Amino acid sequence: MMRQSSPILYLVFWILLSFLTLFPIYWLFVISVKPAVDLFTTPSLILDTVYWNNYVKVLSNETIRRYMYNSLVISTSNAALVTVLAFMACYALSRFDLAGKENIFFWTITNRMAPAAVFLLPFFLLFTQVFTIGDWKLYDTKIGMVLLYCTFNLPFAIWTLRPTMDGIPKELDEAATVDGATTWQVIHEVVFPLARPGLAVTFILTWVFAWNEFLLAATLTSFNARTITTGLSEYVTTTGTEWGAMASIAVITLIPALIIFSMVQRHIVAGLTFGAVKE
Amino acid sequence: MAQVAVRNVVKKYGSLQVIHGVNIDIADGEFVVLVGPSGCGKSTLLRMIAGLERISGGEVDIGGRVVNDVLPKDRDIAMVFQNYALYPHKTVAENMGFPLKLKGRPKDEIAAKVKKAAEILALEKLLDRYPKQLSGGQRQRVAMGRAIVRDPQVFLFDEPLSNLDAKLRVTMRVEIKELHQRLKTTTVYVTHDQIEAMTMADKIVVMRDGHVEQIGAPLDLYDRPANTFVAGFIGSPAMNFVLGRLEGRDGETVFVSDHGTVLPVPAGTAPRPEPVVYGIRPEHIDVRPGGIAATISVLEPTGSETQIFARIGEDPLNAAVRDRVASRPGETIPLSIDSQRVHLFDRQSGKRI
Ligand SMILES: Nc1ncnc2c1ncn2[C@@H]1O[C@H](COP(=O)(O)OP(=O)(O)OP(=O)(O)O)[C@@H](O)[C@H]1O
Ligand SMILES: [Mg+2]
Repeated sequence: MMRQSSPILYLVFWILLSFLTLFPIYWLFVISVKPAVDLFTTPSLILDTVYWNNYVKVLSNETIRRYMYNSLVISTSNAALVTVLAFMACYALSRFDLAGKENIFFWTITNRMAPAAVFLLPFFLLFTQVFTIGDWKLYDTKIGMVLLYCTFNLPFAIWTLRPTMDGIPKELDEAATVDGATTWQVIHEVVFPLARPGLAVTFILTWVFAWNEFLLAATLTSFNARTITTGLSEYVTTTGTEWGAMASIAVITLIPALIIFSMVQRHIVAGLTFGAVKE
Repeated sequence: MAQVAVRNVVKKYGSLQVIHGVNIDIADGEFVVLVGPSGCGKSTLLRMIAGLERISGGEVDIGGRVVNDVLPKDRDIAMVFQNYALYPHKTVAENMGFPLKLKGRPKDEIAAKVKKAAEILALEKLLDRYPKQLSGGQRQRVAMGRAIVRDPQVFLFDEPLSNLDAKLRVTMRVEIKELHQRLKTTTVYVTHDQIEAMTMADKIVVMRDGHVEQIGAPLDLYDRPANTFVAGFIGSPAMNFVLGRLEGRDGETVFVSDHGTVLPVPAGTAPRPEPVVYGIRPEHIDVRPGGIAATISVLEPTGSETQIFARIGEDPLNAAVRDRVASRPGETIPLSIDSQRVHLFDRQSGKRI
């Protein structure tokens, strides 16, 4: 169907699609560079004056900078930890004869079957009452958030990564073993390079989940480990909402996401395992 | 290089036993072929020698050392897999050099050895390519190259040619044999193709259902098969079997089939009361005046040879002759059996008499 339509139509289709995707972001940007008065007087989508004050205000705010930093640290550590753990779990699930491994595999996903809100109270109690050493609590710590997101992301990551791992022919492990590789060398030299596209996808999806997560972060942090998504909500106050500042934060939070995507994207090269063994 | 001994080796998967006490002695530098129908346990046995499969009972000995509990990486063996198992993210040169890299050899030594192996296998021009850019035959050669660069004690091959087309299979068969004559490395080669076994082996091990049926030189197996299974498996086209008895007639022994056909037996054969299986290879039957009258069912000329599917009375008999056959299906021709090349087996046990 696509092939028969003219290139013009094809182009129009994609322009339309890009427009639909990018328009809200443009809108956001427009709001972020307008003074508050303009927003409520003559709403317009034209970028006539560019007013950077929202950005200056937000970036000079130390609290916002801290939230941003927290978000970056938590998301990236979480994604790294989850990817490594999921890789090891999937290697074991795919390569070893574990008793009841399909049950284990299925069981991992069960905690994603209930809405996150169900876990709010138990987690709050655990973080404030149980996981404590002396005065120190897991509540409102970055490590606490990293571990928390692990419990949500790891099952999901295992499910994402398993097909990749199963898709790497077992003969390659065996060939490497006979060639003289230790288990670690098999993983490092053969399995890891071939699993890279899957690992990249897992990393991105986990990172995005942690980066965007609001509900748990809002409940289990107060100040020290507060993330930017929750910080954003602090601009909605009883006396009014600072739309301009919120929009500029939103634009700023897009930037790390873009950077992470562009860094990881080049690893997502499909079809790398082709030619390993003859089908 | 080393000798290999397989002693009373048993393999069980849970309660399922697939290898039942196998014994094989492989001399230093020998080319041994494990052959048998699909599912008989050839790969399992080979993988136990490689260390990829645990040994449930018995011993595997490589170079005088029992290796049951030695990891594959420490057995100093090289294996070529049926589907090649090349590393797709490594170039041909990296694939071949990988075993040496793992041993921590210096780069220039690896490069030199890879180059030498590439010369032997005519892969020099392909060293920078990735496996997916190679043809099946080239991949096969790379897999062999990876095996030879490290100069192992033993080569293990698991049906290395079964993914190639018929013509390439013959070429590679010769190449592997040449390689063995040149390197003289002890080799264990698995195939289900009896022609590969006959043409390549110093010694053939015929397996069935996890048992060894017979071990011997190719021509020994052809000339003196130990039982009906080996007799039927080795040789192409397959041996004719006729069921019947050995009876004495006028002071001579003859074979009388269950359908009453009388066939000649080697001189000096004694009559016996137990029923027997009469075996004669198609190539040992000739068309000759004075032979037994047979009716042609089907003719299969291949150019060099003609296969005649015929019947003597009720008994089907297949002959392979060098001469062109002028007769047509439905006609009668005289078939003469070379009685000295008749094989007789006990019908109950299938064992050679
Ligand atoms: N992991 C396993 N669990 C249970 N049974 C197995 C397992 N692997 C192999 N078997 C059984 O062991 C027997 C021998 O298998 P093997 O792969 O050695 O056969 P093979 O002679 O190599 O056959 P082919 O010519 O088809 O490759 C078969 O009956 C097979 O079903
Ligand atoms: Mg096999």
